Amino acid sequence: MSDINQDREVVPLTTLLPGERAKIVALGHGAGRQRHFRTMGLMEGKIVEIVATQPARGPVVLNIEGTQIAIGRGMARRILIQKI
Amino acid sequence: MKRISLMGCPNVGKSVVFSRLTGVNVISSNYPGTTVDFTKGNTCIRGEKFELIDVPGTYSLEPTSKAEEVAQSMLQEADVVINVADATHLERNLYLTLEILGSKKPTIVALNLWDESKHIGVDIDVAKLEKLLGVAIVPTCAISGEGIKELASELCVARVSKTIEPMSEDERWAKVGEIIGKVQVVHHRHHTIRERIADITVKPITGIPIAIIVILLMFISIIGIGNWIIEHLMDPLFYNYYGPWIIDVVNSFAPEGLLHDILIGQSTGESLDFTQSFGLLTTGLYVPFAMVLPFVITFYFMLSLLEDTGYLPRLAVLVDTGLHKLGLHGSAIVPTILGFGCNVPGALATRVMETKKQQFIAATLMAIAVPCMAQSAMIFGILGREGLKWVLIVYATLFVLYVFIGLLLKKLVKGESPELLLEVPPYRKPDSRTLLKKTWTKVYGFLAEAVPFVLLGVLIVNLLYISGLIDILSAVFSPILTTLFGLPEGAIVALIMGFLRKDIAIGILLPLGMTPQQLTISCVILCTYFPCVATFVVLIRELGVMAMLKATGLMIVVTVAVGVVLNLILNVL
Repeated sequence: MSDINQDREVVPLTTLLPGERAKIVALGHGAGRQRHFRTMGLMEGKIVEIVATQPARGPVVLNIEGTQIAIGRGMARRILIQKI
Repeated sequence: MKRISLMGCPNVGKSVVFSRLTGVNVISSNYPGTTVDFTKGNTCIRGEKFELIDVPGTYSLEPTSKAEEVAQSMLQEADVVINVADATHLERNLYLTLEILGSKKPTIVALNLWDESKHIGVDIDVAKLEKLLGVAIVPTCAISGEGIKELASELCVARVSKTIEPMSEDERWAKVGEIIGKVQVVHHRHHTIRERIADITVKPITGIPIAIIVILLMFISIIGIGNWIIEHLMDPLFYNYYGPWIIDVVNSFAPEGLLHDILIGQSTGESLDFTQSFGLLTTGLYVPFAMVLPFVITFYFMLSLLEDTGYLPRLAVLVDTGLHKLGLHGSAIVPTILGFGCNVPGALATRVMETKKQQFIAATLMAIAVPCMAQSAMIFGILGREGLKWVLIVYATLFVLYVFIGLLLKKLVKGESPELLLEVPPYRKPDSRTLLKKTWTKVYGFLAEAVPFVLLGVLIVNLLYISGLIDILSAVFSPILTTLFGLPEGAIVALIMGFLRKDIAIGILLPLGMTPQQLTISCVILCTYFPCVATFVVLIRELGVMAMLKATGLMIVVTVAVGVVLNLILNVL
């Protein structure tokens, strides 16, 4: 499902800045949570953007092809992306 | 009667489809053996009667949560399934659709939010999708009612899919990708105004001030509209028409004596005081209908508005950081807000928290520090007469308790506090029919619960006084009440009634002639010492007996501490 571009660095989702776009390459959680992510629209190969970052290590709000998902900072750190 | 299950992911407009298809008689109940609630209604299509069930929204049927287990068994019990899918996010909705079709039940797919998918540039080839899935697909726009007739007429000819077989998770995702590739084209789209508003309300710099304004507006309008209804409708009705009439009626067969006192109270004078007389047909009806109901109606209307526009998830995101410090996360705002309406649904809603630890903290904090609308209405109604300052002291104290106990429980309770994971749906224009139906269902629920309990409470109060039992109780408990809290010994009746109903408990305080300080302390401890019995029963079911014993212990400790401290502060001030 994931098509990793060899030229680009794979980094945690939390390094993405507002306004930047990236491709999701790995979900990095257990099988149950991965399924939950995918049924919410958060899956490998999708383009992700940051809508908002809450202060004091609060959650980030993602936009994945029109779906917005709020996710805790720790959980987001384990999701890997490639910036584009 | 055939049973239709309405199934779909959260936020696809399922409940709007439901209210379009059903009549007025909609009831909300719990699935047997669980606390997962669902709504049920009847519908008649081409002379045939159907029972329609609004199954709780789930992303999949893998039984990883209670709601999914319930959805799975409701699918098994259904004769026909209507799968409501979101046309604007077909890809991720298809996973559940494939699971449902794999179960081999006769199914129709309602492709809801069809107009919106056009608007944002999503093109779906319905004919091709119909062929691939092997069942009828009806594009709908539930808010405007478009497609609902077609949906109803397809119901009678719903069929089992011949093209979709049960499959594994990986196969299902592969199938989703394959189908999407064949039927969906997404055109370039630009930001709509609604999306810009959506972004503004979730960014912290703009979102937090907006959240404060929204909550203040909600609070002000509940008080304003509630008071308006009381002043212009309920009070004139009770004092000018109902009061004189009921006195005449009761006097005609029981001019004095026990029956007279129990029915309309001991105040026999010309002017009847509905808050002080304590008769079944006076105070017993005045409290739920005239003092509480106006606030309950406005509260549930505002809450439904917040729910249906899609604002609540944004509020959850904004308060997440703060609630995380209390061992909770943003989703805990939902049981908390519901708790301000009634602690019972609030307690049920604590199951949105993933772990036992979070559920325990959310439930305990609500039971101790969140007054329900019946209680709040009485606090405004009775303490408000002494000045706004006292009401503010009550709520400020409860807020401090909420934060302080939360910080403490985060440290003390074993277990995990996972982070927030929540879909933030786009803003939607609420449908007025759904809004009114929702409000009515909840208000009806309040009346059905409150009126009998208030009447029972008033009866018990009367019996306590008539039998003289009250003197014994007062004598036993007066050392605690007077020395610790500085309250008159009669306040024990309020504490006893508080087990049953909080509104009537606060109502009892009025005839005792307390000082504003004493009233304030009473209102606070009536909130903290114990939730009402209905909430308590639900909490035992949700948390288990052991956890509830711990929570109860905490309530007693907190109550004694806060009562003593308030007594010291207020009587020194």
